[in-house]
Amino acid sequence: MKEMELRHPIWIRIFHWTNMIAITLLMLTGYYIHAPQTFRLFDNMDTPRMLHFAMAYVLCVGVVGRVYYAIVTGDWKNILFSPLKDIKNFPSMMKYYLFLADSHPDYGKYNPGQKMMYSGWLFMALIQIITGFILYKPDLFPGLGALLGGLIAVRVIHYVVTWLFLLSVLAHVYLDISEGIPVLLSMFTGKMPKDFHHTSDGPKVPQPGKGVSA
Amino acid sequence: MPTKLSRREFIRLCAGSAAAISMSGFLAPFMAEAAEAGAPPVIWIQGASCTGCSISLLNTVHPSIQDVLLKVISLRYHPNVMAAAGDLAIQEAMYKVARENKGRFFLVVEGSVPTAADGMFCTVGEENGKPITFQKLVQDIGGQAKAILAFGTCSAYGGIPATPPNPTGCKPVADVVKNVPVVNVPGCPPHPDWMVGTIAHVILYGDYPELDEFGRPKMFFSGIVHDNCPRRQYFDNAIFAKNFSDPGCLLEIGCKGPIAHCDATTRPWNGGVNWCIKSGAPCIACTEPQFPGWPMYERLPEMPIAPGITTTIDQVGLVLGGAAVVGIGGHLIGNIATGRVGFKKDEKEGDN
Ligand code: HEM
Ligand code: SF4
Ligand code: SF4
Repeated sequence: MKEMELRHPIWIRIFHWTNMIAITLLMLTGYYIHAPQTFRLFDNMDTPRMLHFAMAYVLCVGVVGRVYYAIVTGDWKNILFSPLKDIKNFPSMMKYYLFLADSHPDYGKYNPGQKMMYSGWLFMALIQIITGFILYKPDLFPGLGALLGGLIAVRVIHYVVTWLFLLSVLAHVYLDISEGIPVLLSMFTGKMPKDFHHTSDGPKVPQPGKGVSA
Repeated sequence: MPTKLSRREFIRLCAGSAAAISMSGFLAPFMAEAAEAGAPPVIWIQGASCTGCSISLLNTVHPSIQDVLLKVISLRYHPNVMAAAGDLAIQEAMYKVARENKGRFFLVVEGSVPTAADGMFCTVGEENGKPITFQKLVQDIGGQAKAILAFGTCSAYGGIPATPPNPTGCKPVADVVKNVPVVNVPGCPPHPDWMVGTIAHVILYGDYPELDEFGRPKMFFSGIVHDNCPRRQYFDNAIFAKNFSDPGCLLEIGCKGPIAHCDATTRPWNGGVNWCIKSGAPCIACTEPQFPGWPMYERLPEMPIAPGITTTIDQVGLVLGGAAVVGIGGHLIGNIATGRVGFKKDEKEGDN
């Protein structure tokens, strides 16, 4: 048995899976609401809309909880994309992904691409929550809806960001599974073999927050 | 006939669904009485409009209200119904009334205000041989009114004339006159009751009714069409019309009921005979500030992807999705070829 180390504490796993369930259901019900005659997943509008709004609240709790967790534990240093620092690391990462290099430097818990994706999701989730609640209760935030260009524009934003979620989730699932089964398992068990290093052998870059997440 | 109608009763009457058919007839005697007792004058002017709002107003079936509106109340410069014309109308009927009733009269504006080329796209008369632009008229007269009643989406929010590319620089009244409150009564055209009710309110109480965030009287514009729609059961059951006049919810042929504020659900048009959705035509959200900034018979507008080129969001999404799948496939092949995935990985890990 390999020696294991903790990669994802329990709260990270809980929020990961509630958010995953919420977003998946939001996308499925959302696509149905958008095109009930093409995307025939339900046979009425009531169920998917109720599910959509219920999952909207689950997503709100998940987002707030995850952000709170990240702040109090210092985990935000692992995830938050910093344009200044992380862009510098992009070339070496892209070389690895494009098979131009066999390995990449150790970036810490997540590589700059992952950081960008995960920070982007926070941003996108906030956009969905804001535009979603405007559509849900148009008369609670009339000024906000107008500021964004009116309710049709709000709908367009909500729908475009849904596509962004779909595309980025696709990439996320592929990249994480292709990194190796241990990476996938670690989001269930929390643990990863101690010597699993993402083929890293380059120079070390500082690993902020490592002590906390481990 | 009771002399006094309390403001609360008035609001209840105008907002209530029972009023749908009888509102004008009921209000007429009160308005006539108020007008005789010296109600504030109402001046009506038209700019970049199609006159549809006036026609809609004159369409009120109740003859008594037409009498009131046309004779008793000072609709003194309504271009379609007044007696005087030309310089006389402008000087006598308008500037004089405004001067004598400064801060007390109400100005109804129909149509938006062209502001490009110093407003020369719309002139309404002459003064000393020089044209008077509609913009100047609205500013001169409107600036002295107690409030401006912007009737129709054009004057309230810009409407059709202000739709891009908008070569005449049309603007809503509230953008042209800043120092006077503006009551927006949108609609393309507005329901006659919305106009009659608003005029009745200012005549009976000398002031305008309570407004929502977008300057619309709450008594007419606080409900969303989709929430009160008689076809709502079809929506909930996902039964959609494929054509105009089919039974079913009209969402898939572009209904904008989910975003439209309007009480036509309980206040049918043409004297209570029918209304947009009941007659099988999707709501086009004609009362909303951004009207007509959307395709009427599609659910969502297309997305600009390059100057002058638009496409649907779904097409963009599918192309990007296809690209992602190709990218993933390519990468997977690379991964296998270089031995990053598969059994070799473990060996390599072991070597580390
Ligand atoms: C990842 C998050 C989300 C995704 C992917 C998503 C996706 C979608 C999609 C695709 C639609 C159909 C849009 C259209 O064609 O008009 C939709 C509609 C809607 N969404 Fe979301 N949504 C998300 C989050 C939320 C949240 C947090 C709320 C908050 C209440 C919300 C409320 C709504 C509402 C009210 C509608 C309109 C439903 C209707 O008109 O019947 N959504 N969503
Ligand atoms: S017809 Fe329009 S307003 Fe009525 S239920 Fe369908 S979408 Fe809503
Ligand atoms: S139902 Fe829609 S289109 Fe008809 S008057 Fe109301 S807002 Fe305008």
